[in-house]
Amino acid sequence: MTEDLEREIKSLVARVIKVPEEKIDPQANLFRDLGVDSLLGIEIFAALDKKYGITVPEDKLRGINTLNDIIALVKELKNS
Amino acid sequence: MSEGTSNYWRKILALDEPVPSDFPKQFQTWHRFFRPWFYKIVSIPLKFYCPEKVLGLENLPSHPPYIIAANHGSAMDFVTVAYALGKRKDELYPLTTKLFYDRPQSLFWIKIAANAIRIDTEEDFLPALKIAIKILKAGKAVYINPEGLRTLDGSLLPFRPGVGILAAETGVPLVPVYLHNTWKVLPTDALLPRPYPVLVIFGKPLEMAPYQEKLKTHPAYEVYKEVTEELRNRILELQRLAAYWQGKDKAASLS
Repeated sequence: MTEDLEREIKSLVARVIKVPEEKIDPQANLFRDLGVDSLLGIEIFAALDKKYGITVPEDKLRGINTLNDIIALVKELKNS
Repeated sequence: MSEGTSNYWRKILALDEPVPSDFPKQFQTWHRFFRPWFYKIVSIPLKFYCPEKVLGLENLPSHPPYIIAANHGSAMDFVTVAYALGKRKDELYPLTTKLFYDRPQSLFWIKIAANAIRIDTEEDFLPALKIAIKILKAGKAVYINPEGLRTLDGSLLPFRPGVGILAAETGVPLVPVYLHNTWKVLPTDALLPRPYPVLVIFGKPLEMAPYQEKLKTHPAYEVYKEVTEELRNRILELQRLAAYWQGKDKAASLS
């Protein structure tokens, strides 16, 4: 179940930032290593909002840099 | 897929929140007193030293809210546009980062004469967009230089997509403006203005209804980029028109 969710999020992020899934290292910094700009960063959360109905508050946006950060945040928000 | 992601953007931009009735609370008293005098003084160089010609002013929407997006050549860009607007200059608000707004020497120019609104950030674009949205919702107009930086050689730099977000989400008309020669009159290293004629061209506004429709079915980020790209193309067209106009003027002065 958790693995499914992680795979789903990875696939969603890959589609939004237009990078093949296999090129996304969960530890890599999306902004520094994968060329995601701040707007595209928000678009990832917009896509998550659309898919899971979770609204990431603005103050949480700044601390998110890697796919793992996104996965942890989605899990936290889904459970809360 | 992430179609129609605009909802989250609207939440994060506080687009549906009400605007306080006294916003924007600028230096209204000082404005009334100083602004006419400031523009009277500015009109002297703009008439004789670097004479300003205005084209397409009829393209300006008959009333605010609207967004004016102009290329960025120099520190005089806003004055050039405001002067071209005549009495309607008071409806236009530029945004300024705190770096410039808080300098003591900025007091008169940025706060009183230019009507600028302070952005409490240097790097984060969200506060700037939120303030711009509030200005538009208060029924005023916003002035933006989408390049962010001044050009060093007159060429158009890449545009930042914030202007696309602002226009597509608020739905207000986006007016492309080309400022010809302001980069020559007051380049970044100049202390005093140089004598070049200035041309201001107002293009036809981009209507946002088709883009708002598209926001329902496409990823918002792509729509914002599309608006920004279309705006840049329109300003490039105005740039070509300015080059043609300049050539025509030169030919007329030689004949």
